[in-house]
Amino acid sequence: MKSLKNLFKVLLVPSMLFFVGCGCFEDAVVEAPPPPPPPLPPPSVTELGDVFYAFDSDVLDMAAQNQLDENVQWMADNPEASVVIEGHCDERGTYEYNMALGERRAESAKSYLLNAGVDPVRIQTVSYGEERPFDPGHDEAAWAKNRRAHFVVQ
Amino acid sequence: MGIPRLTLSRIAFIVVWCMVFIPSTLFAESVKEYIRITKAGASRIPLVLKPIDVKKSGNGKYAQGIDLIIKDGLDFTGLFAIIKPPMNIITGGDLYQAGKRQINFAALSSVRAEVYVGGVLDRKGKTLEMDMEVYDALTGRILMRRLYQGKRDELRSLAHSFCADLVRLFTGKPSIFESKIAFVLQSAGKKEVYLADFDGYGAKPVTNTKGFAVTPALSPDGRQLAYLTYTNGLPDLHIKDLSNQKIVSVTRKGIKIDPSWRNGSLELATTFSFDGNQELYLVRKDGTISRRLTRHSSIDVSPTFSPNGKEMAFVSSRHGSPQIFIRNLNLGTVKRLTFKGKYNTQPAWSPVGDKIAFTAMQKNREINIFTINADGTGLRQLTYGARNNESPSWSPDGTMIVFSSNRGGSEKLYVMNADGRNQRSLKLAGEQMQPCWSQFR
Repeated sequence: MKSLKNLFKVLLVPSMLFFVGCGCFEDAVVEAPPPPPPPLPPPSVTELGDVFYAFDSDVLDMAAQNQLDENVQWMADNPEASVVIEGHCDERGTYEYNMALGERRAESAKSYLLNAGVDPVRIQTVSYGEERPFDPGHDEAAWAKNRRAHFVVQ
Repeated sequence: MGIPRLTLSRIAFIVVWCMVFIPSTLFAESVKEYIRITKAGASRIPLVLKPIDVKKSGNGKYAQGIDLIIKDGLDFTGLFAIIKPPMNIITGGDLYQAGKRQINFAALSSVRAEVYVGGVLDRKGKTLEMDMEVYDALTGRILMRRLYQGKRDELRSLAHSFCADLVRLFTGKPSIFESKIAFVLQSAGKKEVYLADFDGYGAKPVTNTKGFAVTPALSPDGRQLAYLTYTNGLPDLHIKDLSNQKIVSVTRKGIKIDPSWRNGSLELATTFSFDGNQELYLVRKDGTISRRLTRHSSIDVSPTFSPNGKEMAFVSSRHGSPQIFIRNLNLGTVKRLTFKGKYNTQPAWSPVGDKIAFTAMQKNREINIFTINADGTGLRQLTYGARNNESPSWSPDGTMIVFSSNRGGSEKLYVMNADGRNQRSLKLAGEQMQPCWSQFR
């Protein structure tokens, strides 16, 4: 259900923009010269982005879901691409548990994509636990960046 | 005291033969009082270590080398307080015949020694002969006399054979002197597994994985080494036979985390996620699965087994935060062990008893090592105020714990007594982590 809703959201937003745009355009047509043909829709500007988590959690919050929606769009725009989702943890906690937690983060992101209709053969997951921090710092700002699912195009 | 010298020398004569052919049975009874003392956790045994005497001065360099190794070895055990020897310990008798020398017990008691250790070294070609004597300095009784032989370029094994016998004399148990520690050494961002003696001496690499080998686990017989590596970017469990270097690679889909060997078997337990969820499995040394051990949608990692192999402690997030649970493998029952704190991981079951060491992440963000009895009583904190202290692993006799700590900045291996006293660095170069102390073979 959640996936359908998200898919709906993804489709709804651009289509609404389209209709609004048309409405404005129609209002302007009175006696003016024939309008130029409507511009082609701009090429997709969505990019694969990382998804972030709370400490000791693999739960996707709203920001994470929004980013994953963009990632779903990217997957749709780039149908040939396959991705590896890497699960990462911050340096706190212990190595072995973080290895498990990293995998669950990667898997939670993968599940979201699958539910949005992405073909499972295009997604692999791997956990690096606390092994490969994005930010080498030792404060909450760094830790927040390191608790992530990182998307790598193959 | 009360033993005529003639009888004493006769005993010594018998002892030489007994020690060579039937190790240390004769004097088991005479040191029961010491065994009792060390069990009670009383203070260290005050011991005088007289430098080993040599007949020919040319052998002095060997004797000095052995003196140093014995002193460091006995120091390491934490059982002895080594006292500077007084002057004139030997006052007569056959000066170069261990057990036949006259010992000045008055001088020893003046420095409050309870045990005296001395010896005589001789060399025949490339072979060293070390004749050792151990006396109870309070009663004047001889506790042990034994002849040790070894090659002149293997002073460590010669000296440690004696240390092992001395510790066994006072504890009644085998000692750590033959044991090894596997650990991860990190250098220039690369991690490989190394194997060193119990005191960190002679570390050598035992994996060659292009820089990613972690969480080593030595089998009970010391022959197999299991560890996690990544092959082509994907996790891969290796089971390496250290005697012939052959590697079994377990490349099943998904993660493989933190292997641990089951006591009394040639199987290890580890976490696999190939069926979509992280579960613990028993795995044979050929990499095939013999049994599934958990069935729960949460994280299940870091197994460790009771000495008889019938129970397994492990980490699970099934109650929310990571906590330690114990599963009885015969009955299939699971009970929660830890209740204090919100992050208890890395359990290590003592090889001799019912104690389990583990790490807790605390509110002040330190990670500290604790021990708890397998029935959940007796929680005890062993490390305090020293940043992160992780990955405890017990010595094979259960008297010590090796762990990693970043208390000095970079991560290094440390050892401590099982009660947390006497914490000191193994002084290895570079950064080390995830130690695994071998068991007795």
